[in-house]
Amino acid sequence: MNNPNTLVRNYDIMLRGNPTVTNNYLIKQLPKATVYVNKKFEVVHVSDKWIEDFDFSKRNVIGQALNTLFMGVDAKWEKTLKDCLKGKTSEKGLQRRIDQEGNEQWFEWLNIPWYDEKENIVGVIIQTEDITYRVQNELLIEKLEILLDVKSNLTNIGSWEYDVIRNKLSWCTITKSLHEVVPSYEPNIDTAINFYKEGFSRNSIAMAVDKAVESGKPWKETCQLITAKGREITVIAAGKPIFKSNILIGLVGTFQDITNTIQTATKNKQQERHFKSIFNSSYQFTGILDIHGTFLEVNETAQNFAGLDESDIIGKKFWNAYWWPIPDYIKDGLKQVVKAAAQGEFMRSEIVVLDKNKNPIPVDFSLKPVYDEDHKIVSLLAEGRMIKEMVKARRELKVSEQKFRALYELSPISYILSDFETGEILDFNSSFEQTTGYNKKHLGSLLINDILAKVPKRKQDKILKDLSSKNSFGPEEQQYIKKDGTKFPVLVSGSFVGNKKGRKLLWSTAQDISESKRNEQRILDEKLLLKTLIDNLPVNVYIKDLDSRKTLVNRAEMDYVGITDESELIGKNDFDLFDAASAQISRDEDLQVLNSLQPMLRKETINVKPDGATTSFLSSKIPLVDENGNATGLIGISLDITDIKRKEEELRGLINVTSLQNKKLINFAHIVSHNLRSHTANFSMLLDFLVSEKDPEEKNRIVNMLMEASDNLLETLENLNEVVAISTNINLNKKPIVLTDKIQTVEQNLTAFLKNNNALIINEVEDKLKVNAVPAYLESILMNFITNAVKYKDPMRKPVIRISAKKNKKYTIISIRDNGLGIDMKEHGEKLFGMYKTFHNNPEARGIGLYITKNQIEAMNGKVLVDSEVGKGTTFNIYFNEKN
Amino acid sequence: MKKINTICIIDDDPITVFGIKKMLKSIGVAEEIKTYVNGKQAIDELTAMFESKEKIPEVIFLDINMPIMDGWQFLEKFIALPIEEKIKINVVTSSIDPYDKEQWELYNSKTHHVIEFKNKPIRKGDIIEITKAA
Repeated sequence: MNNPNTLVRNYDIMLRGNPTVTNNYLIKQLPKATVYVNKKFEVVHVSDKWIEDFDFSKRNVIGQALNTLFMGVDAKWEKTLKDCLKGKTSEKGLQRRIDQEGNEQWFEWLNIPWYDEKENIVGVIIQTEDITYRVQNELLIEKLEILLDVKSNLTNIGSWEYDVIRNKLSWCTITKSLHEVVPSYEPNIDTAINFYKEGFSRNSIAMAVDKAVESGKPWKETCQLITAKGREITVIAAGKPIFKSNILIGLVGTFQDITNTIQTATKNKQQERHFKSIFNSSYQFTGILDIHGTFLEVNETAQNFAGLDESDIIGKKFWNAYWWPIPDYIKDGLKQVVKAAAQGEFMRSEIVVLDKNKNPIPVDFSLKPVYDEDHKIVSLLAEGRMIKEMVKARRELKVSEQKFRALYELSPISYILSDFETGEILDFNSSFEQTTGYNKKHLGSLLINDILAKVPKRKQDKILKDLSSKNSFGPEEQQYIKKDGTKFPVLVSGSFVGNKKGRKLLWSTAQDISESKRNEQRILDEKLLLKTLIDNLPVNVYIKDLDSRKTLVNRAEMDYVGITDESELIGKNDFDLFDAASAQISRDEDLQVLNSLQPMLRKETINVKPDGATTSFLSSKIPLVDENGNATGLIGISLDITDIKRKEEELRGLINVTSLQNKKLINFAHIVSHNLRSHTANFSMLLDFLVSEKDPEEKNRIVNMLMEASDNLLETLENLNEVVAISTNINLNKKPIVLTDKIQTVEQNLTAFLKNNNALIINEVEDKLKVNAVPAYLESILMNFITNAVKYKDPMRKPVIRISAKKNKKYTIISIRDNGLGIDMKEHGEKLFGMYKTFHNNPEARGIGLYITKNQIEAMNGKVLVDSEVGKGTTFNIYFNEKN
Repeated sequence: MKKINTICIIDDDPITVFGIKKMLKSIGVAEEIKTYVNGKQAIDELTAMFESKEKIPEVIFLDINMPIMDGWQFLEKFIALPIEEKIKINVVTSSIDPYDKEQWELYNSKTHHVIEFKNKPIRKGDIIEITKAA
């Protein structure tokens, strides 16, 4: 810019040597707005530029006073003008003007004295420059700055501006401090955007600015900045674009740090909540009164104590509260207390109040003034502590703390307190020391990761999830590492505890389960061993519950029931498995054992399956008893003795047969001995006589008798032979014989005998009926019985013999019934089939027939039974064994 | 030797009866010898004798194995008779069955009569000894 002084002086020189017209012409064309005024400040010359700048083209300005033209000249300007008349060149000045349309105009002006040729001051040359735009802009910024600075002081708002043309960004001090950059920091538009937190904040601010530039409207966004020191702050970033002649020339904006505001708001809310909860959960009665003694607030403890609602108390006078004893002097006293407190006194005393049941309770009561920031009493805090409760609570606290301490130190469970964030272990108890080998000296350097073996990711995630949702986790099985590096299994639970100083602390309890793990394994091994053992026992083993349902079965039991999968048997009772009768017996045994708690040992039982299969068992049932002595079930052990039983049965049969045979043999031996002895005795006696006998006649008689005795002996030997033959004939060839045929054969053989005795045989046997017998024996048996029936006929009756037969399961029974003499069974029953036993005075009776018959029947595993009545007749029932 | 009025032999074996009779006669101890072939015949006769107050034989020779009624059955019935006199009963048998010995002891304890048990054969020497009235 040209120096206005130099310029003016040039004109001045130029003008001095020229007449007015010339001057006027020159002045008119000056490129700068210039006006010449006389001593009266009336316009003498003026440049066109001046006319234009001040918009005086439509007015004749020459001769007009400045005062008129500008509708008043301010005092400052007037003074400089006057100074100028005294020869003093003014400093550059600034003049504000409102034009006729009310627009503000700003001028920079310079006054210089106007000298004539004689160096007399004739007026003042005023040069002006319209700097409205510049001034306005500068002012705007200045204003903004002032505004921002003022505001900044209060709210910490920083400002910035951006000059598009010069591409220059400037930050104010506060903005710089918000960004935590050094005061000499030179921001630029590219780096500035990088302070916005990447992501949402950066994107939304970029979009907001773009939109603002497009639409010309201001922006205001809440977003996060990351300061140069890496701190995250929350700001309200506001700003607007500045245009000149529709061209964007700049941006201005502000930052307001609201980080603290947000924190403060959260904190306030928290504090209020804390206060409320403390207020309400406090053991003591707390109320807030205004300074006139009216309740503003009262806590729940006080409400509960008096049995009242908040609404019953709030708004009432303190001394009218329910809990004060009635007398007026107390109320008056309370009024005095309130008054004293309202004047700043702290009142405290022990008094008695009434609870909801009108019981007097001693209370430590106090009334305390509450001040605001200006140290003015705004309310009164009334507090009452129940002395009794306090003492009790304190004692309980102490006891519980002692308990905890003892528990903590003596517990076999390890307690570990750690900082959750850093993993630092802050405390542990002696159990931890004993199990891990660490001691208190390691505190400070020991981290949770030093003692905790790596946890599988899935488990770790679950623990973290539990901690974040419930503030606790566990019990979880983890592995701890001892100081010596060995690992051992632990059962860990943990929970977050009060985070003093913002630390998140974790209490963990860890139970050493090495022992139980080992036990578990051992029990598992033993169980497997037992299972193998039980499964391979050749006896049925099962366990039943109180309802006789099976809860365990071994393989033998499964095989017996006929299943392969244990689950088919578990939960079933005997009624599900066996027929109702044997199931009921088994259930009765179970109940007996369960009720008496006495085992049932080695009892022979019979189980019948639904299909009728019968099994004999040797069963024991042993009650299972819990630690209280109550039965919980029973163990059953059954040995299948079906085979043994069958063999025993066979053996018994064999023994019976053998002893019978033996008996028969002894009997036979006696018979033989007796018979032979009686004959030999006779021989001996007769020979004795013969030796000493002189009489020849007598001698002859004795010899005859000897011969008779000899015949008898021979006969006896023959009979014995016959019997021995039957008894020793083991390979009996039994075969089915048609009975009727055999009867006919015998009948034919006896034809003459029967005819002589006028006997009648009635054969009632079925034509085709077969008997399993030795043919010769059957014939002999039939012959003997028929002959006997005829021999011992009743002489008064015609002998009639009926033969019939029937079959049962095991035997074919042939009945031979006669109408003969009959036998006195009482007298002779036992000896009927004895050898040489006769029962009638029949000279032909030899006492051998029935004996042989019986032997033959028994040799075929049969038997014979007699039914007889003297005078009526006899029935022989002969049992032929069809089985063997 | 004291003379005995009546001796009774109960035996189904005629040779034995012949033998005993011959020996008794040779020592001439009895007035009369009665013989019966089985227990039934004997008890019927003796009962009749007792009922008609006749003198019961003082000595009885009794066989065991006999048809119709054997020696033990006879004894059973005989000792049931309320005979006041002590009768000497000689059980003479060829049986060595212990059962018979037990039976003898049983009846001996049940009666006031004197029962002797003798295995056959009976010798002359024995006869004198056992043929003494009880």
